[in-house]
Amino acid sequence: MSVSRDEVLKIARLAELHVDAAALPALVEQMSRILDYVAQIATVAGSETAPPFVPGPAAAPLRGDEVRPSPLAFGPADMAPAFRDGFFLVPRLSAFDE
Amino acid sequence: MSLAATLDRLAKAEPLHALLTPVADVRASLAAQSERAPQHGALAGLPVVVKDNICTLEYTTTCGSKILEGYRSPFEATAIAQLKAAGALIAGKTNCDEFAMGSSTEHSAYGRTHHPLDPARVPGGSSGGSAALVAAGVVPAALGSETGGSVRQPAAFCGVVGIKPSYGRVSRYGLVAFGSSLDQIGVFGSTVAQAGQVLSVISGTDPLDSTCEDRPSVSLPDSPHELKGTVIGVPGEYFPADLDAGVRRACQRAMERLKQLGATLREISLPHTQYAIPTYYIVAPAEASSNLARYDGVRYGPRLDGALDVRALYRSTRGQGFGPEVRRRVLVGTYVLSSGYYDAYYGRAQRMRGLIAQDFRRVFEQGVDLIFTPATPTPAFRAGDRMDDPVAMYLADIFTVTANLAGLPAMTLPIGRVQGLPVGGQLIAPAFAEERMLAAALALESIVPAVEEA
Repeated sequence: MSVSRDEVLKIARLAELHVDAAALPALVEQMSRILDYVAQIATVAGSETAPPFVPGPAAAPLRGDEVRPSPLAFGPADMAPAFRDGFFLVPRLSAFDE
Repeated sequence: MSLAATLDRLAKAEPLHALLTPVADVRASLAAQSERAPQHGALAGLPVVVKDNICTLEYTTTCGSKILEGYRSPFEATAIAQLKAAGALIAGKTNCDEFAMGSSTEHSAYGRTHHPLDPARVPGGSSGGSAALVAAGVVPAALGSETGGSVRQPAAFCGVVGIKPSYGRVSRYGLVAFGSSLDQIGVFGSTVAQAGQVLSVISGTDPLDSTCEDRPSVSLPDSPHELKGTVIGVPGEYFPADLDAGVRRACQRAMERLKQLGATLREISLPHTQYAIPTYYIVAPAEASSNLARYDGVRYGPRLDGALDVRALYRSTRGQGFGPEVRRRVLVGTYVLSSGYYDAYYGRAQRMRGLIAQDFRRVFEQGVDLIFTPATPTPAFRAGDRMDDPVAMYLADIFTVTANLAGLPAMTLPIGRVQGLPVGGQLIAPAFAEERMLAAALALESIVPAVEEA
C-alpha cells in the first residue's frame, strides 16, 4: 500500500476536501492502486533526463494594454451564493491560524 | 432542417439520458436563436448539441457536477460564438462524466447515458451524451472536449466520427478547464465531412486564449480518389496480443482498403506507448487539482451553509459537491504536486511526455504521413463493469491518450461492427496537419464497410 490513511487525510486537508470516515478505507486502497500504477514510469530509461514536453506556442502572444468593457453578461452579484456591497460574503477566517 | 423535427427527435431520445437540458428549454431557446441567427452562414440552420463543460449563455453549464448545479455562465465559449455566427443553432447541453473525468459517462452527477444500440452498455466518455445523440441520428453534429480521448473514445463506441484537433487549433476560451496542457474542444459528426465542416468553423486564432495558435482555420479538403504516395504508419504497440479479436479484424479490413486506395502501409514503432496512461494519470490529475481549486462555494455555484469558518465552508462544499472520481483525481493530483513527491511524479511525467512526443516526431520525420490504429482496445463495455476499478477504466483510453500528451490531431471513424457494436479506426497526424488527416479519412470513409460485421 503506497499511501497510508494519515497521508490521505493530510492530502485531503491540502486539497480543502472533506473526506467521509466511511469512505476513507476504499479511498486509501484506490489511491494506492493508482499511485502504484503510475509509479512504473520511474523505471523508464531516459525518463529522468528527457526534455519535458510543453505544448502551445513558443511565446505567449500579448495583446494591447487597453481598458475594455467587461465581456460578462452579468456580474458576481448574480452568481455568488452570498454577495453584498461589492463583496463576497464568507464565514470568519480564523481557522487559517492552525 | 426543421426545428420541429429536431425537437421531436430530442424528445424521442430522452430514454438515452444524453441531454441534460429539458426539451422544453431547448424549444424556447431555439425559437429565440433562430430569429437572430444568420440565414446564410456555413452552418445555417444546423442544430448542434454541446457538451456541458462548454460555456453557453442559452443554457446552464454544470460539467455533470453537483458543484455547478444550476450554474449559468456570464460569457460564452469562443467556439459557441463561432457556431452561432455561422448560423448553427445550439440545441442543448449534453451529459458527460463529471468535469470530463471518465471514459463511460457513468461518472455524471445527473445519471449515466445509455449506449444508443444497447442500453446496458456505456456510450464511452467523457463526451458520451454528444456521441450518443449524433449516433442516434438526433443531430448531425455535436461538440465535445478531449483531455485524454473523451471525443474519439465515445465516437468509436457509438459509431460516429470524432475529431480531436491539434493542441492550439481551437480556442479553449469558455471550455471549463480540466487539464490545461491537454484540453481541446473536439467535434462529433455523422460523417467526416460534417465533422470537418464544424471543425473549420470553430478553428482559428483567438485573442482570448493565449495557447491558441495564430493559424488560419482548418479547411475541409475534397475527398481524394486515391491515396497514392501517402505513407501510413501502423504501430505494433497499438495491436497487442490481447487486442479484441473483432477490433483487430475490423482494423485489418480497413488497412486493406487503405492499400486499395494506393496508400503504402509501413510497420512502425512508438516504443513509449505503454507508459502513456501512467504519464497521463499524473499530468491530468495534477492540472485538475489546480484547476478545480476554484470551486469553493464563494464566488459561484451552490455552497453548503452552516460552516463555522471559511475552510470548513470550502471543505464541506467541495466534499459534498464533487463525486468520487473527481475526488480521487483531486487527491492524486494534490499528492503528486506536493512537496517531496513533485520531482518523482510530476517532473518525471513531464519528461515521459517528452519521450512520447519524440516517438511521434521520429516516425513523422522518417517519411510517415499519417498513423493508423484502433481507436479503442474493445467495443463499448457494459455499464458498471469498470466502476469499481479506476485503473481498468483508465485503460479504455490507452490508444487515444498519446495524441493528447503529444498535442497531435487525431480522429476516429467507424470501420465496422463486432457483434453489432461499432468499432472505430483512428488516424493520427503531425501537429496542424488536420487537412491531410481529413483527406485520408474522407477517402477511407468512402470505401470502408462502416456498419458491417468485421
